[in-house]
Amino acid sequence: MKSSIIDHQSSMAKGVFPATITSNGRIRECFWTMSLEFTGAGATAFAKFRPGQFVQVDVSHLGLPDESLIAPELRDVSKRSILLRRPFSFADVTAGRDKTTAELLFCVLGPASVRLTTLRRGDSLGFLGPLGNGFQVPSGKRLALLVVGGMGAPPIRCLAKLLRAECPDTNVIAFVGAKTAQSLPFEGPFDSVPEHIDFLVPAFAKFGIPSAVATDDGSAGRRGFITERLAQWLDDQRDWSPSGTIIYACGPETMLAAMARLATERNIDCQVSMERRMACGIGVCQSCAVECRVEGSNETVYKLCCQDGPVFDARSVVFLT
Amino acid sequence: MILSVDISVDFAGRRLANPVFTASGTCGYADELADFMDVNRLGGFITKSITRRPRKGNPTPRIVETDAGMLNAIGLANVGLDRFIEEKLPVIARMSVPVFVNVAGELIEEYTAVVERLAREKALAGFELNISCPNVAKGGISFGRDPEQVREITSAVRAAADDKILIVKLSPCVTDISVIARAAVEAGADALSLINTFTAMVIDIETRTPALANRTGGLSGPAIKPIAVYLVNKVYNEVAKPAGIPILGLGGIRTASDAVEFLLAGASAVAVGTASFLEPDCAARIIDGLEDYCARHHVTRLADLVGSLTVPSSLAIG
Repeated sequence: MKSSIIDHQSSMAKGVFPATITSNGRIRECFWTMSLEFTGAGATAFAKFRPGQFVQVDVSHLGLPDESLIAPELRDVSKRSILLRRPFSFADVTAGRDKTTAELLFCVLGPASVRLTTLRRGDSLGFLGPLGNGFQVPSGKRLALLVVGGMGAPPIRCLAKLLRAECPDTNVIAFVGAKTAQSLPFEGPFDSVPEHIDFLVPAFAKFGIPSAVATDDGSAGRRGFITERLAQWLDDQRDWSPSGTIIYACGPETMLAAMARLATERNIDCQVSMERRMACGIGVCQSCAVECRVEGSNETVYKLCCQDGPVFDARSVVFLT
Repeated sequence: MILSVDISVDFAGRRLANPVFTASGTCGYADELADFMDVNRLGGFITKSITRRPRKGNPTPRIVETDAGMLNAIGLANVGLDRFIEEKLPVIARMSVPVFVNVAGELIEEYTAVVERLAREKALAGFELNISCPNVAKGGISFGRDPEQVREITSAVRAAADDKILIVKLSPCVTDISVIARAAVEAGADALSLINTFTAMVIDIETRTPALANRTGGLSGPAIKPIAVYLVNKVYNEVAKPAGIPILGLGGIRTASDAVEFLLAGASAVAVGTASFLEPDCAARIIDGLEDYCARHHVTRLADLVGSLTVPSSLAIG
């Protein structure tokens, strides 16, 4: 689909903008959510934020929380000093009249994210962004399948809201996978999640989007990978058109690779949001290479996750797994 | 009373508005940082390495962070000479800052082919010869470790460079950097830049594998700054000052105070590298900070700081 109902980042002002933190707290397990408020030039810049775009956050000036507040398995690694910014994709962005609010959903898993937990209401934090290219929403899709693997949740949540607002006639279903019920990065509860599709995940249900859940150990939803769950669901559909369907996915590389295979086999458009270790986020350090096929040849090139992505057409990517 | 400060410096016969460059591989080919600062405010600009043919670069992971630094093993990924000329040179031609093209290769002929082709471009101020990249199988640092090879490649490139300024970039991974510096100067280098990164390694203890696909990478960032200052001071005293050759000092600079250290140690100019990844306008902040430092210390000409390190007699050895 060439025609797009949404202009794809035409001319975009990016920069380093301060945000005021309005809240910061744990959702469950190792997952935290931080609410931010941009004003002035930052409000204008981030009002144009598209789902799938990202920001680079400088946490180098932040101290560690008291050791008793650091998970025992992170006490050692958290002592390392921070030099580089860290990339995050917002889970929600709302543009208001004179301010833009955003939600940063993060998982406490290392020396940078553990420092983010020390921020309190009223504190300020600098965001470099908006960076990269978000999801493209082509017209003519009657069915959009959102696929989340673990910490791939933020950009997909952001996209869910946009789809509901801008494509009211598209049927949207979320497929949410994680290792265990504990590692679902959403507000629960996820005690006895059934196997069938229903309004199971509040973060999607609030937009009227039903979801299917799968976990590796079966502790929530169906046991198995979410990509298998999606394949089964497609098999069960009597009347659906591959050309009228689109898949949007974010999660671990193995999941994205499986998603790309499935989409290719069944001839469904599929966009994946990739992750690579990166330093600058603005295309100068060349760290975040993603190997991509050159159309019509056997050659591959390295594209940059930060500049050419992080959202790629699934069929173009040579996955690492 | 506001003191007027002259922060311009002379660099190999060229007057620069200020001594602050952006370092190769950290600022793109031309105006990539233009969203964040006025690139024309810089004293000089050094492009990402250009090779005769395009290079894909190394597999990922290409970087890993470490305490006060980072390792990179990009592998000289670049668009190659033809696309550089076609796509980047027109942008460079519109920039007023003196632009130096960093040149790399596996064979001497590849270096000279790039330099010969670019030597006639009026938009360019000169070249920086990369004989110190630690992340490629062939070429790179293997030239920069042997004084005979340094002599050979420097004189070949000097002959191809016409009247352009030739900077030779040195590796710290040598037994005596002054021996290498002397070979470059004797073979016709107009300036020396130092230091490139240190070969280093980070191990992922969960998987018991190297953190980088390339196994090793080049260490940069604040972690290497004191070593860089030491090596700049050593090369200044032993080679550059006697020969009247300027040094472009770099290695871990992220503040104006860092830059002043390099100037005092003997660098005529400084380059900002890794710090641009954290603050894309870092170089511009350093220019402002240098002016403030001079005003605070009643220095009217910044160039007077170069090599002005004083060693108290009680500390002087020999």
